[in-house]
Amino acid sequence: MTPQLSWYLALSAVLFTIGVVGVLIKRNVISMFMCIELMLNAVNLTFVAFSSFFRDVSGQLFVFIVMTVAAAEAAVGLGIIITIFRNRESLDVDDASVLKL
Amino acid sequence: MLALLFILFAGMAVGCAVSMVAQRNPLYSAISLIGVFISLACLYVTLAAPFIAAVQVIVYAGAIMVLVVFVIMLLNVEEEERGPLRLRSLVPIAVGLAAVLFAEAAFIIFFVQASPATPTRNISDVGLTSSIGAGLFTTYLLPFEITSILLLMAIVGAITLARRGGLLRADVAVVPGTQVLARDVLDPFVPPDTRPIVAHTTEEVEEQLGLKGVPHLRDE
Repeated sequence: MTPQLSWYLALSAVLFTIGVVGVLIKRNVISMFMCIELMLNAVNLTFVAFSSFFRDVSGQLFVFIVMTVAAAEAAVGLGIIITIFRNRESLDVDDASVLKL
Repeated sequence: MLALLFILFAGMAVGCAVSMVAQRNPLYSAISLIGVFISLACLYVTLAAPFIAAVQVIVYAGAIMVLVVFVIMLLNVEEEERGPLRLRSLVPIAVGLAAVLFAEAAFIIFFVQASPATPTRNISDVGLTSSIGAGLFTTYLLPFEITSILLLMAIVGAITLARRGGLLRADVAVVPGTQVLARDVLDPFVPPDTRPIVAHTTEEVEEQLGLKGVPHLRDE
């Protein structure tokens, strides 16, 4: 029995849901950031599964671009996190609920 | 065989993801997330996408997670403590909405017919590096170039965000050691004293400069 396409889609849905739950229940900015990375990876799995089962290379190209966006997001997002920590001495999102200082 | 591998790596991915959300220490969360990335890379290999699998390990598990772990260690993040639950009145509504969501998912799983054209998979060269490169530089050339602009903007943004303050003004006096004192803290009518100050703490510097009572040296 070989894995079906629906297996991969179900796994992707499960991982995405875990990421959403993490973003909702975490208080730490860095933990929320990592949960967002998990959601991006779940979508990547969907892309690769469709690309492989339909034998179309476009899905893997999209995954490549999503990874680039994730890398840019990591650089800028971690810069923002460092700035927040410098200004507020805390990484709790409830302490940073307003944008001004 | 492939089904066994799928079950193994899918279980690993879900287990590591649950562990990532359950951990309170962000460093343990990061290590669990690396486990998720590695098992997803193995799943990409079973999907005949070796290039994406390699990029997953190099870019995600390598570059991005190293950056995250570096920031966690730089900021010395403490474990998050459980605060009081806010918005407790919304809990029944949340339970109801979750029940509706599960009902929807169950409906889709059990009552929707499978699509008539079930895709079958056999060996193909779709996931190879050469076909990805050909697609990237022909059909998807414009998104590829836009990606380079995005990376440039990310570099500029990261440098702008991470830089500490602006440049020093021209009229600041730099005390040997680590202290930087603004010249206007000192008395402007006294000619500048160019003797080096030997001190190791801020208190010693303040004492030698006669600044004991200056309040705004101790702000921040």
